[in-house]
Amino acid sequence: MALHFEGTQQIKAPQEKVWQFVLDPNKVAECAPGFKSMEILADDHFKPTLAVGIGAVKATFTFDVQLEDVQPQTHAAMRGRGNAAGSAVDLKAAMDLKPVSESETTMDWTADVNVSGTIASVGARLLEGTARKLTAQFFDCFRQKLEAPEEARISEVQTPETPGT
Amino acid sequence: MTTPAQTLGGMGHSVKRKEDPRFLRGKGRYIDDIKLPGMIYMDIVRSPYAHAMITKIDASKALALPGVLAVITGKDLDAAGLAWMPTLMSDKQMVLPVDRVVYQAQEVAAVIATERYIAADAIQLVEVEYDPLPPVVDPFKALQPDSPLVRTDREQKTNHIWHWEAGDAAQTDAAFASAEVVVKEDLYIPRIHVCSIETCGCVASFDKVEGKLTIYMTTQAPHAIRTVYSLVTGIPENKIRVVSPDIGGGFGGKVPVYPGYVIASVASIQTGLPVKWIEDRSENIQADSFARDYHITAELAADKDGTMKALRVKTLADHGAFDAAANPSKFPAGLFSVVTGSYNLQAAHVEVDGVYTNKPSGGVAYRCSFRVTEAVHTIERMVDVLAQKLQVDPADLRMKNFIQPESFPYKSPTGWEYDSGNYPAALQKAMAKIGYADLRREQAEKRARGELMGIGISTFTEIVGAGPSHTFDILGIKMFDSCEIRVHPTGSAIVRIGVQTQGQGHETTFAQIVAEELGLPVENITVEHGDTDTAPYGLGTYASRSTPTAGAATAVAARKIREKGKNIAAHLLEANPDDIEWSDYKFQVKGAPGRSVTMKDIAFAAYTNFPQGMEGGLEAVDYYDPPNLTFPFGAYICVVDIDRGTGAVKIRRFLAVDDCGNIINPMIVEGQIHGGLTMGMAPALLEAITYDENGNMQQGTMMEYLLPTAMETPVWETDKTVTPSPHHPLGAKGVGESATVGAPPAIANAVVDALAHVGVTHIDIPMTPWKVYQLLEEHGLAEV
Repeated sequence: MALHFEGTQQIKAPQEKVWQFVLDPNKVAECAPGFKSMEILADDHFKPTLAVGIGAVKATFTFDVQLEDVQPQTHAAMRGRGNAAGSAVDLKAAMDLKPVSESETTMDWTADVNVSGTIASVGARLLEGTARKLTAQFFDCFRQKLEAPEEARISEVQTPETPGT
Repeated sequence: MTTPAQTLGGMGHSVKRKEDPRFLRGKGRYIDDIKLPGMIYMDIVRSPYAHAMITKIDASKALALPGVLAVITGKDLDAAGLAWMPTLMSDKQMVLPVDRVVYQAQEVAAVIATERYIAADAIQLVEVEYDPLPPVVDPFKALQPDSPLVRTDREQKTNHIWHWEAGDAAQTDAAFASAEVVVKEDLYIPRIHVCSIETCGCVASFDKVEGKLTIYMTTQAPHAIRTVYSLVTGIPENKIRVVSPDIGGGFGGKVPVYPGYVIASVASIQTGLPVKWIEDRSENIQADSFARDYHITAELAADKDGTMKALRVKTLADHGAFDAAANPSKFPAGLFSVVTGSYNLQAAHVEVDGVYTNKPSGGVAYRCSFRVTEAVHTIERMVDVLAQKLQVDPADLRMKNFIQPESFPYKSPTGWEYDSGNYPAALQKAMAKIGYADLRREQAEKRARGELMGIGISTFTEIVGAGPSHTFDILGIKMFDSCEIRVHPTGSAIVRIGVQTQGQGHETTFAQIVAEELGLPVENITVEHGDTDTAPYGLGTYASRSTPTAGAATAVAARKIREKGKNIAAHLLEANPDDIEWSDYKFQVKGAPGRSVTMKDIAFAAYTNFPQGMEGGLEAVDYYDPPNLTFPFGAYICVVDIDRGTGAVKIRRFLAVDDCGNIINPMIVEGQIHGGLTMGMAPALLEAITYDENGNMQQGTMMEYLLPTAMETPVWETDKTVTPSPHHPLGAKGVGESATVGAPPAIANAVVDALAHVGVTHIDIPMTPWKVYQLLEEHGLAEV
C-alpha cells in the first residue's frame, strides 16, 4: 500500500546546525526508531538496519539509502528500499530548510512510502497510525538533540525504543 | 420398542458419530500430530512483491545459522526438472520461482533445519533482491492490451486463459427479442478464503532403502495426488504412498497441490529424513488457493405476466496467477452452467472468460460443487430483481416458473438432466412453516413506521456427485469412486472407501450403509479411508460427491456380498438359491420365515462351511460410475432487520427446507446444514478478500478477515422434504454444500427486500454495516 506523509517542523537551532545534523547518517540514525546498525558505503549511500513492529508483526529491515539532489543548506532528497523476510518498503523523501531567524529553522518534509508483503497484509489497518507515531518519535528526538545545550552529551538523549514491543 | 433397523444403526438413523470419541478426547491424528524419528523441519521464504524479478538470492547467512541444513531455491528445483508442476486444471504452476514472482506471499525459497524455530529464524536471514514490476490486480485491466503480462512463460502473450460457454446463443437472443421485460444486473462475488481450522501441511518421508516416498498430507484427493506425483517425478506409483489422516476441514481448499508439499518431498528425498512443513495462519490465508472472484453480468428476459423466458450471463473469472482450480477437465468454469436453477426457461446462454492476475490461484470450489454457489447466487438474485421490476411477490414469481414435479427428468437449456425434484412442495412447506403471509403483513406495518425489515427467498438447485465417466475426469482420470468390503468370519467388517472424511462423518455414514445392506450392527463395521496403500482408487471428497459416488459403490459392493451370501444361505438352509429372499435383515426361505440365517451366520460359513466349488471368504469391491449427477434442492427463507443507526444486518429468522433425497443419518445431515448455513452467511455478511493497488492482500489475519463465531451466527431452523434420486442405489443425493450454496442469495434477497421500497435493486455481498449504512445515507434512511 502506498502512503504519503508530509509535515513541517520548527526547530530551535540555526539552519547550518540542522543541515550538519541531517546530513550525518550516524546522528540521524540515533533518532531512527528501532535502529540497530549502520553500514556507510559513501557520503551519500548508507545501509541502516531497523527493527520495526506493526501490531503483532515484527521485522528487521535492511535499507539501502541513496541521497539525491543535495543543495547545501536548503534541500536534500533520498530514495531507499528496505527488505525484511516477506516484506519490503520503498521510500522516497525530501526536505527543505528555511531560516526563521538566526536560531530557528523550519523544515518542510514529504515522504512517499510503498509497503509490500506481510507487513501490508497483516498490518494495513495499523500501518498509517504506527508510521505517524514513529515519525513523531523521530522528530521529537531530532529536536531534542538539536535544541539541547552544547554541553549536553548526545548519549544522554534517549533513543526511542522499538515500537510495538 | 426398538426396531431391528434401529439396533443395527442402518439408513435413516441418527447414529452418533464413530469418529467423535477420538476428536472429543483430543486423540485425533492430524498432520502436526505426526512425529517421525529424525524428523526435520521446513519453513518458506515468501515474496513481498506481487510482481517482481528476483535478481539475487543469498543464503549464506541462513546457512551459517547452526541447525540449518539446506536452503532450496527455484534454481535447485529447476536442475531436477521440478521448478514447475502441473495443476489439476491442465495449467502449470511454479513450485519455486527461477527468476520471477507473480503474487505476493509466493514461495521464493525453503529453509530446512533441525528445529521448527531455527527454520523460522533462518528464513529471516535469506537475502533476496527483487526488481519490482508493475502488477495487475484487476481482471478487467488484465485484459487490456497495455496490461502487465502475468505469465511470460506461456506462448500466448495475453492474460486471457480460456473462453467457455454453454447453452444456445441464437435461441437466447431470439427469446430476449420477443420478451416483454428484460432485467439486467452486475453482480460481483468476491474472493473468499476457505480458512479451515487446520492449515495445510505435510510430513514427507523418503525411505532410501526401499526407495519409497510416504507423504502424510492435508489432502482431499490422495489417489489423484499419488498419480500426479508419479507422473511428475517418475517414481513408480507403488513407491509412493499418500496418507490423508484426520483432516481439520477441507472445503475445497485442500484439493490443490501446494508447492510446500513438493518442496518438502524433494527435501526428504535429498536428506533421507522425514521433513515436516506446516503453514502458519497468515501463510494459509495469504497464499493458499482462493474461491469465487466472479464478475458477473446477468440478464433475465420474461413476459409481463411473469413467465420467465431466457437467461444470458457473461462472467469474468479471476483465477490469479495460475489456473490451479480443481475442476473436471471439460469444465474450466465448473458447473456454473447450472445457472438456470429451478426455473423452466426456454433458452440460456452462459459465457465465462478466465483471466490471470497477480494474485494467488483462485478457483477453489469452496464448499460448493464447482462454481454452483456463483450460479445459484446469480439466478436467485435475478429472480428477485425481476419480481421487483414486475412488482410481484418473489414467492409467487418462483411458483409460477418452477420446473414442475412431473417434468423430471428435466433437460436444462444448458444441457444438464436434473434427476428429480419437487420445488413447489419445498417452497410451500417453507412458507407455511415460517408464516410467510404474516411476515409480509408485519413488514408492511414496520415499513409504515420507518423500520427496515426484509424477507428473502432462495429456491436453489444444486448439482453434485461428479461424476459420470463419459463427462467427468480430472487430468484424464475418470471421476468414478470406490468401495471395498471385507466381512470377517465372526460377522464384523472393514470397509475401505476411495473418498475420505475431512469432518463429514464418513466413518459413521458409510458404516450405516453397510449395516443397512448387510444387517450387521454399525458398531462392528470399521471404515478406513485416506491411505493410498490400502484404500481402493478414488478421486476424493469434494463437490458433495462422496455419497453420490462412493456411497453408491458401498451399497453396490454390499449387495454383491449379499448375492454371494444368498448362495451360502441356500447351502446352509438346504434350499434352492432362487427360494432364498433377503427380508428383515435376514436370509429366509420364501414362505417359511422360521427358516432363516443372519449375515453373521453367513460370514462364519464363508470361512468354515461354504459349498463345494465356491470361493471362500466374503468380500467385494465396486468401482461405481454414476449414470448421472444428483440434484439436491431446497427452499430457504430469511428474515432480516436492518439497524438504521449502524447499517448492521441482523438475521432474525432463517428457515432451511432441504431435500437431499433419502437420508443416511439425519443428525449428520442437520449438522452439515447448520455448518453450511454459517459458511453461507459468512460471505453474505462478513467475508471478502481484497488487494491494494500493489497486489498486497489486505486480510492477512483473522482480525481483518472476519470469520463467523457463535456470536455472529443466528439460530438456524431446518426442515426437509424427501425426493429420492431415481438413479442412486440408495436414493440419496449429497448434502454437504446445499446450505453454503443456498444461503447467500436468501440473505442478499432479504436485505435488498428491506430496501426495495426506496429503489434498491441489488447489493453485492458482503453486506457489511459500512456498505449498508452508505446505502441508508444515500436514500435518506440513516439515523445519525
